[in-house]
Amino acid sequence: MNRRSFLGGIAGLASVSQWPLLRAMGAAVEVTPSPGFRLVDVTSSAGIQFQHNSGAFGGKFLPETLGSGCAFLDYDRDGWQDILLINGMDWPGHKQRRSTLRLYHNNRNGTFTDVTSSAGLDVEMYGMGVAVGDYDNDGFPDILITCVGQNRLFHNTGKGTFLDVTNASGLGKRLGFSTSALWFDYDRDGLLDLFVCNYVKWSPERDVFCSLDGKHKSYCTPEAYRGETCWLFHNRGNGTFEDVTASSGIFDSSSKSLGIAMLDEDQSGWPDLLVANDTQPNKLYRNLRNGTFRDAAVEAGLAFSSEGKARAGMGVDVADFMNSGRSGVAITNFDNEMTGLYECGGKTYEDVAAQAGVGLASKNSLGFGCVFFDANLDGWLDLAVANGHIDETVRNIRGNVGYAQPPLLFLNNGTGKFRDIAPEVGAGFERPKVGRGLAYADFDRDGDLDLLLTTNNGPAYLYRNDQLTGNHSIRFRLVGTKSNRDGIGATVHIVSGGLSQWRMVKSGSSYLSQSELPLTFGLEKRDRIERVVIIWPSGGTEEFQNLAAGRCYECTEGKGISPLDGY
Amino acid sequence: MTRLGRPLYPRGVPRPPSPERSPTLGLLLGLIVTLAAVVAYSAYITWQVAGLRKLQAELIDRNRKDSLQLLRIQNDLNLLAVAMRDMIDNDEPYPLTAWSAQFKRIRTDLDDAMRLEAGLAPTSRTLEQSASLSSSLTQFWGAVDRVFELAGSGQDKSAREQIQLSLQARQAALNTTVARLLVQNSENEEQAAARIVQIYDRVQRQAYVFLAATLAAILLTGFSMIRWNRQLFARMAELSERRSELAQKLIATQESTLRYISRELHDEFGQILTAMGSMLGRAGVHAPEGSSLRTDLQEVRQIAQDTLDRVRSLSQALHPVMLDEVGLESTLDWYIPTVERQTGIAISYEKQGQPFDVDGSAAVQVYRVLQEALNNSARHSGAKQAWVRLRFLPATLELEVEDHGVGFSGRPVRQGIGLVAMRERSELMGGQIVFSTPDAGGTLLHLTVPREKVEARGRD
Repeated sequence: MNRRSFLGGIAGLASVSQWPLLRAMGAAVEVTPSPGFRLVDVTSSAGIQFQHNSGAFGGKFLPETLGSGCAFLDYDRDGWQDILLINGMDWPGHKQRRSTLRLYHNNRNGTFTDVTSSAGLDVEMYGMGVAVGDYDNDGFPDILITCVGQNRLFHNTGKGTFLDVTNASGLGKRLGFSTSALWFDYDRDGLLDLFVCNYVKWSPERDVFCSLDGKHKSYCTPEAYRGETCWLFHNRGNGTFEDVTASSGIFDSSSKSLGIAMLDEDQSGWPDLLVANDTQPNKLYRNLRNGTFRDAAVEAGLAFSSEGKARAGMGVDVADFMNSGRSGVAITNFDNEMTGLYECGGKTYEDVAAQAGVGLASKNSLGFGCVFFDANLDGWLDLAVANGHIDETVRNIRGNVGYAQPPLLFLNNGTGKFRDIAPEVGAGFERPKVGRGLAYADFDRDGDLDLLLTTNNGPAYLYRNDQLTGNHSIRFRLVGTKSNRDGIGATVHIVSGGLSQWRMVKSGSSYLSQSELPLTFGLEKRDRIERVVIIWPSGGTEEFQNLAAGRCYECTEGKGISPLDGY
Repeated sequence: MTRLGRPLYPRGVPRPPSPERSPTLGLLLGLIVTLAAVVAYSAYITWQVAGLRKLQAELIDRNRKDSLQLLRIQNDLNLLAVAMRDMIDNDEPYPLTAWSAQFKRIRTDLDDAMRLEAGLAPTSRTLEQSASLSSSLTQFWGAVDRVFELAGSGQDKSAREQIQLSLQARQAALNTTVARLLVQNSENEEQAAARIVQIYDRVQRQAYVFLAATLAAILLTGFSMIRWNRQLFARMAELSERRSELAQKLIATQESTLRYISRELHDEFGQILTAMGSMLGRAGVHAPEGSSLRTDLQEVRQIAQDTLDRVRSLSQALHPVMLDEVGLESTLDWYIPTVERQTGIAISYEKQGQPFDVDGSAAVQVYRVLQEALNNSARHSGAKQAWVRLRFLPATLELEVEDHGVGFSGRPVRQGIGLVAMRERSELMGGQIVFSTPDAGGTLLHLTVPREKVEARGRD
């Protein structure tokens, strides 16, 4: 008698005997199947030694609460995903140590080497977020770092180094409190444009005194500050950018934006944008295909919670988690507000977090980074959320909410129901952290997706995904020719054994972070796909048939598809 | 007889109504009245609830929805105020036209809110108020358009002046108007809440009235039921009395008849047969010795004697004259061995206590009870032995007849005339008869009669 039949026998006995305890045991066993994978903390063994510096010195400056992001990128184009960790710095007048972002080169053996200095990135800045994209289409990904103060654009020379081209690109002399950012080609001219979120009008000079007891300074909520518009920069194609914030209709001085994701909300083939705002209505900028956008968040049902309240939106991700061909949305919010999980029902979105099992599980968490990814390669996108409060003393006020909070990992069972399996995937993952940034990539090229998580004023964590069930996957790396070289904005649709899946190549998403650009499709036990359809940002469509699983394919726009060696 | 001398109905209980008067009509009437009260009260409650619902839907809910829209308008006006402040501050690197999309968004929402609010506006709102809000807003947007026209033509400085001089004042006025409407809604809500309290009070009063009426109806019906029940029981008691009286008369008639027949048999036929025997004896003396005539006469004389014995026996059986002559105790001394012989049942007869004289009529009843009990034992119980116990106790006379036969459980359930007669006879004597099953099975009859009812000297 194997374990399954034994447990089945128990369940049958329980149903016959009407013995509640035994029946409950049977039921409990039934609803907790193994997640099918483990997340192993390999931070130390991989050589990641990073400590975030929020600059906190007691002045309780607002940016100190927000942490910074991370990114997976293949900066040297060797086919292996490298790691970029953004860092803050000490505030002027309170200088005690030097802290910079960190670029870790993938050694292709599970370890990384810190190449920050040699890459020319050993630059101090109060970094917040990151967006990676090949804006000049030279084949090497460039990096935009959002900052408190001046954002930085680093151009990839292709020789393992980066050049700060902030001023040369026209992005200089522009101070702000920028947060998340993304690259996308909103006018479909084959050049990546840049969208930058800004939080509030804050600077050390404008800092407001907030206090819980009337004596000691505490961190202010965003209501204490005026909003700041997001920025949209159009890529002129000559290495410079034009600020089109006002002319594109993006300008909105009331926004307090933290998260940004791209999507094709109206399925027009033109990229739209979804901005998560803190204490302000979220914005859905619908691309009007003429260089302008119109906010359609209210009519789409994404601006507010289902109670009509503007929540504290932090991170955001967009993906077709129901394999329906329409993108769903996840937006992390403040504690007691629940993570929003929106499903597209025709022309509008509906928050199904409560019904899906995400709402209650996230009620006592303050979510930041969030990513849809197929953790167990079963063909259904799961949802990971990094949590952590902004107030170290929150437990004194709310006993069931801590400063450090465990991440959540919701497994999608394919019927619209999610279950938090964070405590089941490994000893370290569910340990409480002051989580902020979150990104995924297959850094060890074993076909599954690993996680990178940053914390505020703490270390970063790298979790290697070890599959236990032998599920297969297939990966695609897109190279645009007419479209932008990264293929950002391309939609890939695969059909395999009755299962259809859609993914979009996208920059940004999550919170202050960016995941890898190659796409990973879980196939469960299927060993091949019947067909793959690629819809390029330029409008062209290509289809390929009968591809074997278990490897990565590189598809160059208009030039066919070729398998790579392994994943 | 004593029982006949008692009043037939207890004091206060009226004589039963004539059979044609049934309580059904009264009860039905009560039921209809109660149901009518319930229906009437339900209708009243429904009416009040409908009124409450109407008040809630048309006034309170509508008022709240209107307030929500007013708050939405107020929020939009505040957003406009913040945007105008940002425009005046001039710390953005963008021209004033950059705010046009923001104003357009707010205007879209404001227009939508105004449209919804107009549909929800309370009836107390005057036309002047509605028109004032609408026209103020139109003027505001007209001023906004002029500001953006100026900004569009590059006159940002003039546009900012217009914002300060015109737009901000108009926005403040609009804000004040909306705030007043919100206060008005709040007052309406308070009035509605007061009306609701009144309705609840009224319903509460009516509920008490209905409760009292229902209680009264229940009490009336209950008393009616009790009254009819008492009349019914009185009627049953009367019938029972009559039945008992009838039975007693039947028993008395039976005894009288049997006594008459017994006497006739004993006195008339007995003397005739005795005379016949004497005459045949004398005739036989005159007949020659050894002649056939003498033999025939002796045979006839023997037949006459046998007939005489049978007649006497029948006479005793119908009514033991011995009861009248020697009393109950001696009669039983004779009767029980006789039954033993006739039935073959061994009867153990036991007497206890100091015997006293038993009245003749009572003695007949006791005798008949014993006779019926032993008959039953012989005919139905299948027992081979019986026990008879006669107890002369200081206060009672008791008779027990016991057998260990099949008992009542082994016989058909139907109660025979014999048992009925035994009960009637015991009641005639003012006594009580109890049938039970002894531990060894069978039947135990226990007759208890008050001594003063049966003792010859003690009788009235």
